[in-house]
Amino acid sequence: MAERITHSICVGGAIAIHSENGVIRRIRPIIFRDDDPKGWVIKARGREFTPNRKTQPAFIALTEKNRTYSYDRIRYPMIREDFVETHDGQNRNTENRGKSGYRRASWDEALDLVAREIKRLHAAYGKETITACTSSHHSWGLVGYKLSTFARFFRMMGYTELKDNPDSWEGFTWGAPHTYGYYWRLGGTEAFDLLEDALQNVETMIMWSHDPDTTRGGYAGNESVLWRQWLCELGVQFIYIDPLNNFSSVKQAAKWFGPRPGTDAALCEGIAHVWLTEGLYDKEYIAKHAHRFDEWAAYILGNGVDRIEKTPLWAERETGIPAADIRALARRWGTTKTMGGSGLRGGFGGVCRTANGTEFARLMVQLFAMQGMGKPGQNVWVATTGAPMDYNFWFGGYSDPLSQIANQPVADVTAVNPVTQKLYRPNVPDAILDGHYEWYGEGFCGGGLDLEFTEHIYPEPGYNKVHCFWRYGGTFMGSMLDTNKWIKMYQSPELEFVINQDIHFHGEARFADVILPACTNLERYDIGEMCNSGNGGYQSHSQTGNSWQIVVFQDKAIEPLWDSMSDYWIFSQVAERLGWGDKFTEGRTELDWCRRLWEKSDLCEKVSWEDFRNKGYYVAGVPEDWERHFGFRWFAEEYPCDTPNHKPFQEEGLLGTFTGKFEFVSESMLYYAPNDEVRTPIATYKPSWEGHHSIKARQYPFHLITPHPRFDYHTQHNSSTPWFWEIPENRVYINGNPYLVARIHPVKAKEKGIKDGDIIELFNERGNVLCVARVTYRVEINTIHAYGSSGIYNPVEPGKFKSMDIGGCVNVLTPGRLIGEYVPGMAPNSTLLDVRKWEGPLPESQYFEWKLDKVNFAAEPDTASCSEIIEGDGFNKLQSQESRKYKKERANV
Amino acid sequence: MRYGIAVDTAKCMACYCCQMACKDEHCGHDTALSKSQPMMGQFWIEVREWERSDNSRLTKTATVATLCAHCADPACAKAAKNGAVYRRDDGIVIIDPEKSEGQRAIADACPIGAVYYNEVLDIPQKCTMCAELLDDPNYLAYLGDPKKFKKPRCVEACPNNAMLFGDLDDPESDISKYVATHKQTQLEPLAGQDTSVKYINVPTVYLAGTVYLPKELEEVAIGAKVSLKADSGEAWEVTTNYFGDWIVDDLPKNKQVDITVEFEGYKPVKYTAKTDADHYVDMTYLQKA
Repeated sequence: MAERITHSICVGGAIAIHSENGVIRRIRPIIFRDDDPKGWVIKARGREFTPNRKTQPAFIALTEKNRTYSYDRIRYPMIREDFVETHDGQNRNTENRGKSGYRRASWDEALDLVAREIKRLHAAYGKETITACTSSHHSWGLVGYKLSTFARFFRMMGYTELKDNPDSWEGFTWGAPHTYGYYWRLGGTEAFDLLEDALQNVETMIMWSHDPDTTRGGYAGNESVLWRQWLCELGVQFIYIDPLNNFSSVKQAAKWFGPRPGTDAALCEGIAHVWLTEGLYDKEYIAKHAHRFDEWAAYILGNGVDRIEKTPLWAERETGIPAADIRALARRWGTTKTMGGSGLRGGFGGVCRTANGTEFARLMVQLFAMQGMGKPGQNVWVATTGAPMDYNFWFGGYSDPLSQIANQPVADVTAVNPVTQKLYRPNVPDAILDGHYEWYGEGFCGGGLDLEFTEHIYPEPGYNKVHCFWRYGGTFMGSMLDTNKWIKMYQSPELEFVINQDIHFHGEARFADVILPACTNLERYDIGEMCNSGNGGYQSHSQTGNSWQIVVFQDKAIEPLWDSMSDYWIFSQVAERLGWGDKFTEGRTELDWCRRLWEKSDLCEKVSWEDFRNKGYYVAGVPEDWERHFGFRWFAEEYPCDTPNHKPFQEEGLLGTFTGKFEFVSESMLYYAPNDEVRTPIATYKPSWEGHHSIKARQYPFHLITPHPRFDYHTQHNSSTPWFWEIPENRVYINGNPYLVARIHPVKAKEKGIKDGDIIELFNERGNVLCVARVTYRVEINTIHAYGSSGIYNPVEPGKFKSMDIGGCVNVLTPGRLIGEYVPGMAPNSTLLDVRKWEGPLPESQYFEWKLDKVNFAAEPDTASCSEIIEGDGFNKLQSQESRKYKKERANV
Repeated sequence: MRYGIAVDTAKCMACYCCQMACKDEHCGHDTALSKSQPMMGQFWIEVREWERSDNSRLTKTATVATLCAHCADPACAKAAKNGAVYRRDDGIVIIDPEKSEGQRAIADACPIGAVYYNEVLDIPQKCTMCAELLDDPNYLAYLGDPKKFKKPRCVEACPNNAMLFGDLDDPESDISKYVATHKQTQLEPLAGQDTSVKYINVPTVYLAGTVYLPKELEEVAIGAKVSLKADSGEAWEVTTNYFGDWIVDDLPKNKQVDITVEFEGYKPVKYTAKTDADHYVDMTYLQKA
């Protein structure tokens, strides 16, 4: 049979998939045809800039084939070997979760068990007794996404919703809105058309806690790499500020500053001091647009409550950056056209996940305000979004309610959750184990500043506690806090029943009673737009992080492997058994839903369903003279706001703060929480509760910084793709285990007797993790850098609380404490620890593979083992088996 | 017709797309020109990197995506028996997977370590420049004009145009023009070799530093003159930028260099440094003359 080409999107970008005889042969970028539209052309400084005629997926997307045939695929429904289906939910050997192996079950057995348990739990405790939690983007597409199929199922059934914390934004969500509004963007700003502005005007880029080649504009893959190359060619000076001389910095930085972790707010204050004393700021702009600026200026100049002048020398003592360098930085920023910001799209970055993250975010915004934010070449913009796009073409993103199958108009009936009780993700273990938990805020508080201060109590009065946890996709062992707590939670008899529905056998799946194997995006139908998280959502128009706006029919490349099935199928089967299958599906297949989404968007006016399906993608061209809506320009130049997705008050020239101005003394903080010790009315640098001023630093002298990973996307790819383990900056594969790289400064390494490549133990009172040492001048001297979101959690004693981990799951070391009493954000980059050379024997291999091998071999004696797939010919074997099966089936047809 | 690949190190962001695309194409699949690349351990194109640093103050990384150079006169072909290595008319060097069985000398002969030995199959293996795809008239048939976009997988996957593919014999091809207008830097072990893979902008070493006024003034020295003179007679002169930084990159290797830092009103400061490796010479604090 000839090769067949289908298309898909993952968090690493849009891809073309070649398959042959029922197996996937290769993954490529989508190369545009001559009849696809022309790319935009930006004219700037005597040059013309236009993108390459292809999608530019990141390397993670180019390995989707491996994720499909990976060694850790969950192939069959499985039930924990020592699970006992007791009538009252007690005595189920819950203490063995994480330790015990599994047995294969048929779909009927697994689904019947799930349905029986749901009925029992509902009868005993009510609908609120089941909670469920999604991953962060383990798949893509408007049908299968967590806000579609998952949401439809659970809202229809009723459940205790588990609120996500704004884990990638924290300091910006909880801080920046009190300075300049934009709560509806979770503290980030608007980047519309700023690529053109930058190419024409900018001279300096401040890349604060920002590694664009690593975080890749969210889900935009390598789409914006070329833009930064252009800026470099134009002589724009990139200044990177990050405790790690990060992967973009070592390539592009004109200058790198490595502040001591958690002291970035002090650097902000030092810069402000230079500007105030030397008059290097836009006084007219500030006079017009800033609220209570003078009180803040007085604080910086030493006339505030603490009577400390925030001089560059004062900032040097906190940050470790020489005062002379701080002056030079302040002058460059204050005298040239400067854009910049923090992390990913400008309001992110590891720095906002520290104890002082809210104050950094507020101060950073204040600095940009002081330079006339919104004027040409002066803005919060970090070279990852803001490409030209046709704002008049709409195809929904995942957070658009209008494009979720949970809601009308895509569905005939909107699914509504009747249960009001909530849980909060960072503290689920505390809530389950203690039976009581209170917190402030709605998780993502995009609806208004007041939402940060709503009070929640678990269990909500009148409700029962949660006794069943349904985990869906991904694992939080590597991305939440103090994750040994999760082990305690899973082993508690409070959780009578644990379901895990996932594609891969990641850390949390191994704690479940019943495991439901879902298939990958490449084995089912879906539809989606690359990097569109929703034009009405918190990151509206994030697809301007692409060079091209492209909607993809995510065709089924191959049939689901082994017994795996699509998430939609799994949920509809359970709904069927609960008696509301028809209500859930409305009689639609996944393909029907895809068509429905085509029909409900502008796509149906551009291309017929058949043509779209056959070609596989649609590129929305940008008109030659496209509409410009420069982000924040309306504010600086005082015309009615015209940017997409704006609020009515913006048309009157107001920001989303109480006064509508940049609040240097926050009126909203004075109103809602005047006693908040973390977010004071004036944003100030405050030493971390776990930092170099803590008593704990005497015992654990190093800071851990553990940012979003370069060699993964959250927890999704690293675990399943052994090719990544051969990247020396990522992992080192020793003795059957991929050890994570942890970076240490040469001076400290020498003190500790650690050489490059040594196995080292990262430890504190919360746990210990073995890593491989990378001795490098790229880290700040007091810092250990090890990427977060390890998809691999490989405890040497599985299921044991505080077992040593060799999978690189450094989140076991991070504090469970949230940023503050009123700030329920996480601060994994405020972790103290120590390191030592590992002198013990090298642990053996991975400690979970046997569980999969046992089930897989029982089902198929001639299949490949995990280790054969990783390093032997297991992959070839699986593909030829699948191919034979496919040919046989076709012969029978 | 001579197919070539240009690799511009200055544009490479170390994104690993080339390495993954190569593995995606060749791991687990035999073709007429090559047997399957093993899942781990071989890198027909490898992202090779080194850190250019001896100080926290300045670190750059050099990244050289290294693949078989497809030499005009390949060392591996000389080491091969019974014609196991041959050069096609388009310049692509191929190791015959049948004839090369047992010939470890072919792998050992490669000066840049781009030929690997497969212990299981007992054959040497390397990059084919995706010749099997270039030869296949059906490949890419679904994505527009197949000829126009036909490229080796690594080149196609590069997001920053750091790799170019085309006909080196055609002076009007993009690759020929690029090679003609950029600094060619042959890999050291291949010095003097005519290769179809052209390495561009591979760096040598830098000397750098920062100049400050006396420490108590908390000021960098902008516009200070830094003169470098190598024992071989070459000389360079730079001035410090807005951060007081100076750098001279791509210096000839293993020279003794005398450095003088001058700034009006202050005493000159002298250093000597060796260009054996990248050096950040000093944070120079000037003293009043």
